Amino acid sequence: MTRSRPGSPTLLAPDRRTFLKAGGAALASTLAMPYIARAQDNVLYVNTWGGPWEEAAKAHIFDPFTAETGIEIRTVSPVSFAKLAQQVQTGTYEFDVTTLGAGELIRAEQAGIIEELADAPYEGALFHNGVGSHAFATVIAHRTDKFPDGGPQNWAEFWDVERFPGPRSLQRYPARVLPLALLADGVAVEDLYPLDIDRAFASLDKIKEHVLVWWTAGAQSTQILRDGEIDLIGIWHGRYFEAEEAGAPVAMTWNQGEIERAYWVVAKGTPNAENAKKFIDFAVSAKPLAGFVTQADYGPLNPAANEFISAEDAERMPTSPKNYPHTFEQEIDNFGADIEEVAQRFEEWLAS
Amino acid sequence: MRLVGIAVVIFIAAPLVIVVPMSFSDARSLQFPPPGYWLGYYQAYFTDVSWLRPTWNSIIIAAATTVLTMALVVPACFALVRHRFKGKSIADLMMLMPLAVPHIVIAVGYYSFLGDLRLVHTHLGVVLAHTCLSVPIAFLVLSANLKGFDRNLERAAQSLGASPVQTFLHVTLPILRPGLVISALFAFIQSFDETVVAIFISGRDAETLPRKMFDSIRQEADPVIAVISTLLFVAVLLAVIAPFAWRGIRSRFARTALPAPSPAGR
Amino acid sequence: MGATISRLGERPNLWPWLLLAPLTAYLAIFFLVPLADVAVMSFTEPRLSLANYQKIVTGTLYQRVFLNTFLTAGLVTLVCLCVGYPLAYLMNNSKPRTAMLILLLVTMSFWTSFLVRTYAWMVLLGNNGPIVALLSALGLTNPPQLLFTRFSSTLAMVHILAPYMIMNIYSVMRKIDPVLIRSAESLGARGFSLFRHVYLPLTAPGIANGCVLVFVLCLGFYVTPVLLGSPREQMIAGLIGHQIEEFLAFGMGSAMAMVLLAITLAILAVYHRRFGLDKLWG
Repeated sequence: MTRSRPGSPTLLAPDRRTFLKAGGAALASTLAMPYIARAQDNVLYVNTWGGPWEEAAKAHIFDPFTAETGIEIRTVSPVSFAKLAQQVQTGTYEFDVTTLGAGELIRAEQAGIIEELADAPYEGALFHNGVGSHAFATVIAHRTDKFPDGGPQNWAEFWDVERFPGPRSLQRYPARVLPLALLADGVAVEDLYPLDIDRAFASLDKIKEHVLVWWTAGAQSTQILRDGEIDLIGIWHGRYFEAEEAGAPVAMTWNQGEIERAYWVVAKGTPNAENAKKFIDFAVSAKPLAGFVTQADYGPLNPAANEFISAEDAERMPTSPKNYPHTFEQEIDNFGADIEEVAQRFEEWLAS
Repeated sequence: MRLVGIAVVIFIAAPLVIVVPMSFSDARSLQFPPPGYWLGYYQAYFTDVSWLRPTWNSIIIAAATTVLTMALVVPACFALVRHRFKGKSIADLMMLMPLAVPHIVIAVGYYSFLGDLRLVHTHLGVVLAHTCLSVPIAFLVLSANLKGFDRNLERAAQSLGASPVQTFLHVTLPILRPGLVISALFAFIQSFDETVVAIFISGRDAETLPRKMFDSIRQEADPVIAVISTLLFVAVLLAVIAPFAWRGIRSRFARTALPAPSPAGR
Repeated sequence: MGATISRLGERPNLWPWLLLAPLTAYLAIFFLVPLADVAVMSFTEPRLSLANYQKIVTGTLYQRVFLNTFLTAGLVTLVCLCVGYPLAYLMNNSKPRTAMLILLLVTMSFWTSFLVRTYAWMVLLGNNGPIVALLSALGLTNPPQLLFTRFSSTLAMVHILAPYMIMNIYSVMRKIDPVLIRSAESLGARGFSLFRHVYLPLTAPGIANGCVLVFVLCLGFYVTPVLLGSPREQMIAGLIGHQIEEFLAFGMGSAMAMVLLAITLAILAVYHRRFGLDKLWG
């Protein structure tokens, strides 16, 4: 110990060996970790919604894809637009592929944070550099133990706090909630777009006090409905079925369900872009997509997938002939306002 | 006063105790009392990579943070406690600075700073950030110990012919060891528990346990949280009780009077 | 080696700086630079201007959130005091064994991760939780909504911060000489007047310490309000996080962070001038 390097701090000398040993080992493994993860280039990171979404995707898309190509799929959740933007800016990628709704897709394209896609895997698949995968709906659901005589059947009734008292929940996502507020205020579906933003906010004012939770993640919406933290909710239909299957006393209606399309996109500049495109082609091909939408109750956007879907399974899909007429589709191209600005205004409204 | 005191005791104890039965619950949801009991969620925790990896990450990051913190703090502590020099009071304040800055503020800074260095989402990045947050805590503990150090012991050793190195090895270090151990432990816990900065910078590859727990509570209130909470609670219980028990055992054998335990709170 | 020490000892200015250098350099690079980064971003994102600060001053959202943060921090501090003082008193005036047990409990609570405690409150206050069950067993047919309200987040923050208050007050109380109390009693001080004129002034430093610490910690609280509170009663840290995570609004988030930092430092500076900052956590 006394023969330590001349000039090195004497006070540290006794502990030097321990420090060096422990510190060296810890730092070496610390430094190495990210690069070990990087070195496996046969891995594709997919951003998922977690829960039943991921289970269905794993069974019908991820695992078959790995079996076919040898590319391992790892998942990161939940889906986050901000993360997508951030990772492109910082150059450190958490995921290579994600799904976006139409509103975010347009934002992402404008911001230049997704790869340009040239080849459509099926006809009509491409929309603003996203590949159409499936449709989902925001529907009205309620607790049957709180409303044994039936719950609200449209958004106007959802807004009716006299007839249906109790805590409510909606998604903290203005692009999806504003159309519902207008329907509740008596606007007809045909006249919805472009949206009258001011009127929508005025309508939201009426229900604000009664919205206990503004949910931000799909799994959260299931949990609060299933556990009865709220009595009424605007929820994605797939998440609703999850609560129903868990045995919770709940019911829903397809009436005035708000349909949106989900698109696969590739994060701009990711080193795995080639594999990512390969993955997307696979994910929207007929059979994997059919399996995925059947298990997760989505509606397939690739018509070829319909061949593999039974009539019975189709009934739980928003796009089935039985359900579709009751619903309406979001028209993001004709939204009526800058979505980013509306989002900021919504946040201000929420906190006031 | 007494009744209020008892109510407060219940208020403090209830949340600590409730996670234990919850962890054995077989319900998917937050239900108390649980409808039935099983060990399924323990099994889920110990077999699920998505929980084990963050746990392991947290341990590695906290260990590396501790080593780095102590390497920086120990010499600084000797400088600040044993020497008088110009600028000492500023240096003293600087050590405490990370404690005065709200974590959310510095988290925003790290998000951008480590992003520029391409260190966001890496273990190294989290360690570098956590070390700053552990420094003041390790410093406070160690400097309190060092201030209470009777330097006459060192002088006596040197007057008996010991070299400074011998003095340090055989006098200073053994006396200071408990202080070193505790300050290292505090540094470790600070890093292991740190949530806000980790939420912003730990990302996919370096995801820490608190970040994973935060995400899970926010999204789905996964029952596995109760398992982890119970495990953490038991770890704290053992760590807090151990010194009490140890003193109890020692005093039983040595029959020596105990000094009152000093409050561990900061 | 010994020669090194004595040689350096003759030049007293160099040695402490050598020991301090690594930590100073480290904090400068890995703490001050990121902090400066926040300051710079608050003026330059998205473009060079004072616009972000202007928005904070004029925007109702920001005013409301700042006001709410202050009110919440004040409320939490007050409740912590009301909860902590009697407990510290109880600890100080009961048998050693009881005092030891309470101390053990408070220490346990202090060391238990606040995520764990936040989760525990979610269980306790949930609609399927014991408190709602107890209320309905008592005949309350329509139990009040507890979770995801100001009540739940405030309660959990009180629970998380109370140990700081208790420890601060208790450590001061323990140092009070019992002789002092007895002589006050012999002079006729009883009950409230004893408390008001003897006990309270003697424990004031502990109260001040505890209150400053709890208030400052509460101002910057992120996790608990985000998980247990309602978005209508956001606190400033939650809004900063949301602006950055959802909107990537670094400029706005940074400006709010700078205001939060300025307020925090102002409070601590006042404290530092009166008592010395190292006492606060010591």
